[in-house]
Amino acid sequence: MKKIIVIILLGTLGFYTAHTFFDIGFGFPHFEHGIKDVYLQKTVSDLKVSNTVTSIVVNFRGFDTLGEVTVLFLAVTALGGILYKRRHEVGERSVLFSASSIVTSGSKLLFPAIILLGVYVFIHGHLSPGGGFQGGTIIATGFLLMLLTYENYSVNHTVLSLVESLAGIAFAGIGLLGFMHGGTFLQNFIEPGVLNNLFSGGVIPIIYIMVGFKVGAELTGVIYTVLHEKG
Amino acid sequence: MVGTPVLFIVIPLLAAFLIPLLGMLWKELVRIVPGLVLAYMLVLSVNLLNHVLIYGPIVEVIAGWRPPLGINLVFSAFSGFLVTLVVFMGLLIWVYSYRFKRNVDFEPAKKYFLLLMMLITGSVGIILTGDIFNMFVFIEITGISGYALTAFYTGRDSAEASFKYLMLGSIASTFLLLAIMIIYSQVGTLNMADIASKMHTIKPVYKIISFIFFITAIGIEAEIFPLNGWAPDAYTEAPGPVGAAFAGIVVKASVYAIVRYVYTIFDLSGAYDFLILIGLITLIMAETAAIRQERLKRMLAYSSIGQMGLVMVAFGMGTEEGVFAALFMILNHAIIKSLLFFSGSYLVYNSKHKYIKEVNGMSKYLPITSLLFALGAFAIVGLPPFAGFWSKLSMLTAAADSNMLFIIALVLIVSVVELVYYLRVVNRIYFFNKEEKTEPKKPTFNALIVMITLGALILVIGFYPDAITGILHKASADLMDKGQYIHDVLSLNK
Repeated sequence: MKKIIVIILLGTLGFYTAHTFFDIGFGFPHFEHGIKDVYLQKTVSDLKVSNTVTSIVVNFRGFDTLGEVTVLFLAVTALGGILYKRRHEVGERSVLFSASSIVTSGSKLLFPAIILLGVYVFIHGHLSPGGGFQGGTIIATGFLLMLLTYENYSVNHTVLSLVESLAGIAFAGIGLLGFMHGGTFLQNFIEPGVLNNLFSGGVIPIIYIMVGFKVGAELTGVIYTVLHEKG
Repeated sequence: MVGTPVLFIVIPLLAAFLIPLLGMLWKELVRIVPGLVLAYMLVLSVNLLNHVLIYGPIVEVIAGWRPPLGINLVFSAFSGFLVTLVVFMGLLIWVYSYRFKRNVDFEPAKKYFLLLMMLITGSVGIILTGDIFNMFVFIEITGISGYALTAFYTGRDSAEASFKYLMLGSIASTFLLLAIMIIYSQVGTLNMADIASKMHTIKPVYKIISFIFFITAIGIEAEIFPLNGWAPDAYTEAPGPVGAAFAGIVVKASVYAIVRYVYTIFDLSGAYDFLILIGLITLIMAETAAIRQERLKRMLAYSSIGQMGLVMVAFGMGTEEGVFAALFMILNHAIIKSLLFFSGSYLVYNSKHKYIKEVNGMSKYLPITSLLFALGAFAIVGLPPFAGFWSKLSMLTAAADSNMLFIIALVLIVSVVELVYYLRVVNRIYFFNKEEKTEPKKPTFNALIVMITLGALILVIGFYPDAITGILHKASADLMDKGQYIHDVLSLNK
């Protein structure tokens, strides 16, 4: 009896939810007076940024991005705290068989290219698709490749947390500078420059580069911690 | 002006990023810095609250884009009162746990203070923000700190408790995102005031579906029945101060979120009755569970859930008196329940399973702690000279004013139930003889200071409730005035 009631209730809720999402019809314009047009227009006219997604992520809703960066930072901190082992307990990774010479020499070749791509993606975040989060993830995949290929490949934890902390401080610090110069937190206080130039968009590319460093360092740290957990 | 609301978020974030570096210089800094930050936040919030009570709410714009384009923070009498309460409790919890795990591994202790500070910052962010997606971000920050703090002891049981919390929390995030998506697809804005002013244009079915998602998502954090399955485990397995932080801080912020949605954003008239209904069910289920518990911390956890149910009921009345009673109960619950958690965890400090029967005869070994626990127990039940009496009284008068007699009856019955299970513990502390096995643990100096402060506060509010009612009246008037809120935020456009 209880189960039947639950099924009926869930079914009703499920039906209306599915109906609602079907009814919304994603991909079609819905509203005349939303804020989307203002975003599209001000991105080009005020901020001189060609990637609207970047301008929304870093400037219009930059406060959310600061929060999301913090979420990632906390996740890494928590992981480090929970999987923490005393120095002498850090185990050797269990490796079934070592990588062949094709993999080792191939990844040596690929590694700089991956890092370069990652750096390119986050430096050009305001001009082309991508940005700090994507670029940072690409860099972390480069380190993942190296960690998977070489059993003894190690990443310096002090450097990682230094990069992580300094990038985070720089993000919040740039926000505070905006507060001092423009009156509101995260204000774009540098002259935006010319559209489509590499040096344009004021603080937007600087913040996104910081995000790139931070995400790259944090995800590398996560991969390293999980790989070296004593199983 | 002494500062702006955005500093509540930025200063702790800067400190959080800085702490790993400071820890390399001198290990003690990772304990001290969060305390300094919390003390700064308390000074800031008291100053801002004084300012707001005289001159009206502060609406802060971020990144130079006026609402609804950018994100904004709102520090009004209502949110300011809750922020001050949350930060004050946070500072007390920091003092209480300052010597926590000092002699054990350094690494987890470093994470502990950082995570505690972020738990408080996330809660403050939930209360201050004027944007629904920004609230989602802060709920994430609070949640992740919460999962990590629950798993602090890295044992099997704490891992299970943390995993439960993590799973439910992830479902909550997903639901919240779905609700935000539905709202955005209908009105094209994420700003709370802007949504509130356009709410009448949304079709009812969208409104109800998104409201259900909202309530389910935030109900998990706010420990509403039947979404509170994670709470008793987390309270039992987490370190003592963390339990107090959940009860005193996270739940307060989540209840704020629910209230903001019901009172300001949605215009569903049935939502108030719904609050009463879920509040009553939570209250009854939690109190009947509390009376059956054999472990002290679980009993306190269920009692805490029940109290929050009562707060829901008070908010559900939808009158200014109801809101006043709810805020008064939130204040008392924060103070008294923290005192109970703090003193209770010393009463069963060295016992393995934290059974209630292990507090037998503790009054001879820990006289001050036992006295404070008894004080807290009497106060939370609502006996006259203590703080809890005034909040329950205001709850009863509010219910009488809105002709909800069944609420009066239920509150009285529940008070009797509470009396039974709290007096049972106090009775064991004072009139039973101590059994062997457990060694009593003397409270540290910091813990004693915090517990005595809380006990003194209970007495002060008990004897001079007028000291606090002025602020509470202004805060409840502020919440009721939806038009003013919308005006305050959106008038920045002109």
